[in-house]
Amino acid sequence: MTKTIEVKVPKHGLPVTQAADVTDSRIHLKVDAVVVGSGAGGAISAYELAAQGKRVVVLEAGPYVPSEKFAEMMAIAMGTLYQDHGGQNNSHGDIAVLQGACVGGSTVVNAALCFRTPDYYLKRWAKEYGLTNLNLETLTPYFEKVERNLGIAPNQRHETSPGAELINQGLNKLGMKGGVAKRNVKDCGLTGFCFAGCKSDRKQSMLVTYLPWAAAKGAKIYADTRVVQVLADQGVAKGVRAEIIDPATGMKKADLQVDAPIVVLAAGPVQTPVLLLRSGLGNSSGQVGKNFACHPTLSLTAEFDHPVDDFHGATHSLYVDEHTLPEEGGYLLLNAVQDPVEASFQAEPGTGERYMAYMSRYRNTIRLITLIHDKNVGEVSWKDGVKQIHYTVDDEDFEAMKAGLKTNARVLFAAGAARVWVPSSQRLMIESEAEIDRVIDGLKNQPARYRYTSFHPQGTCRMGADRTTSVVNPRGETHDVKNLYVADASLLPTSIGYNPSETVYALASYISDQINAAHP
Amino acid sequence: MTQITTMTPDVLQAIEHVGRLGRRDFLKFSAAAAGLAAAGGLFAPLASAADLPPGIRHLSGPEYAVFHRLMEVALPTRGTALVPTARIPVLQTLDGALLATMEAHILKGLKGGIAYFNEGPTAMFGKPFVALSDIEARAFCDIWADSDELPQRALVVGLKKLVGLAYWANPPTWAPLGYDGPVTDKWNLKSLGNAPMPTA
Repeated sequence: MTKTIEVKVPKHGLPVTQAADVTDSRIHLKVDAVVVGSGAGGAISAYELAAQGKRVVVLEAGPYVPSEKFAEMMAIAMGTLYQDHGGQNNSHGDIAVLQGACVGGSTVVNAALCFRTPDYYLKRWAKEYGLTNLNLETLTPYFEKVERNLGIAPNQRHETSPGAELINQGLNKLGMKGGVAKRNVKDCGLTGFCFAGCKSDRKQSMLVTYLPWAAAKGAKIYADTRVVQVLADQGVAKGVRAEIIDPATGMKKADLQVDAPIVVLAAGPVQTPVLLLRSGLGNSSGQVGKNFACHPTLSLTAEFDHPVDDFHGATHSLYVDEHTLPEEGGYLLLNAVQDPVEASFQAEPGTGERYMAYMSRYRNTIRLITLIHDKNVGEVSWKDGVKQIHYTVDDEDFEAMKAGLKTNARVLFAAGAARVWVPSSQRLMIESEAEIDRVIDGLKNQPARYRYTSFHPQGTCRMGADRTTSVVNPRGETHDVKNLYVADASLLPTSIGYNPSETVYALASYISDQINAAHP
Repeated sequence: MTQITTMTPDVLQAIEHVGRLGRRDFLKFSAAAAGLAAAGGLFAPLASAADLPPGIRHLSGPEYAVFHRLMEVALPTRGTALVPTARIPVLQTLDGALLATMEAHILKGLKGGIAYFNEGPTAMFGKPFVALSDIEARAFCDIWADSDELPQRALVVGLKKLVGLAYWANPPTWAPLGYDGPVTDKWNLKSLGNAPMPTA
């Protein structure tokens, strides 16, 4: 084990090897650990392993986009920072499955909202999946650690938005209680551009925290580098094979092989199972890629008779979780600001003049998101060189969505909305509080009928004690391949109904400790 | 709605006829259309097709005509303060920023979908989409948006979303909405840079 020389954390930016830096057509590296992916799981794993003196290399398929290049335009952000340029969808095409695909991963483009994993799910995971190790007592120090490191704290009073203030008024009128968002944001600039990347580095994403810390501990970071195969010999991980792709041309610039006795997969719940399937590894249970869940969301758009200007402020500032656990309804409400590009496809007022008239009233609109705890009914597959996300909203989950939409609409009308738009393929508007039940009860669970967005794919390499029903053991190592670990939201045995980022932060920290203990 | 139901066999024949693509390919297109991004300023010199405007590299003439007609009927600005589509490079944005980033199999499905969409009104109106009047074209879009046929819903939502994104992604369209766009530089927000190494 070679000790790295500690250097100071750079004040700004990251030392990253990009395709443009590569001159050799073949590169062969030998390190102690290779980490695939640089988002929440990958960055934390890289830092925690490097901090223990391991030589670490991080391979990120996406580009390195330094924060000063963030354009604060959703359209450009989608093209430069998101998976498939924002075009990743389920096979029906009615759920946009949004993930970051850049150095820093989804932490660069999420809204920084953090929740500890509810004890309800930890107990369920222990009972149903044998994960007795992931109890509150064990995980609490990990939650505390990542909250400290990432500055996770409740929004201050001024960290809100015009729309959130209206929604709060609606909640108060209904006697409902909104929760104050906890976010990994320091001195928020209130630009409202979390989903397009934080240009002033207020959001404590991996780009400005664990990745520079890992680099300071000696970790090497490669961007534009897509891992195509995990290498293993006789059931033991040996490294990975990757391709460095010029993002400007899409052409391969170099082949890269990394020999490493520790392989950590943190490419996210879509790419991690794809990589295992492509490699023919880890799937004796037949569960790789199965059990996909994604927390489908639908946004109701409320129109007011006056301008609200809900486009700057804290991207998220309040939530309502009175009905979030499955037995209580299974839905979560979240406010979010939105720019005109996002607003342009959240409602269907009708084709032509009616649509343009609606968009002309953009300043008068706010949205309130309904997110549902969903069953793990989907699957990520890899066939003929193409990934597919097979997922149809389950009928019972759709009923939870309808219940959530009803509550959502009541809050919006109580907030003073003149009308509320339902995000369906056809024109569908609720004109008064009295119409809510009739309209929502009339919704049918049909593919391509609604405009879903998912920010939380999960569950495709689930963790469990039983190797016949799970992919990864309770320590984060695959059942089938020794020294091959998974450290992203693929691990989650069930969906958790809340934003999963802090769960992934804590699990990656926990698994890193297991790796360090097994490889002192 | 009755018309849509009775035309289903025709629609299926159209799918068979147009590009010899299966239903699945059309669905793959809608997957691409449902979450796409657009960015201006990405245009490259026109490679061919002298009858197409500069900046159109991924659409054939007939495909361009469908999108152009859809843009006209979906994004009318007369009588509003909105910027006319003629002053925004909508289809160049669509081509250069949306279609250019599509994977090949998605783009292939889209092309089949465009043709299927254009042939869609034939049974109902006796002419393709590009030949419909404004009123007919808008009615057709709204009927398909409420169709019982999944590909029809997916297509009309996806195609309208593409032209909409390509319009609203252009910053000159924002001022009439009262939206001021990026603010970090305008507000002189300084970067906080990297966080210091944790101490424990």
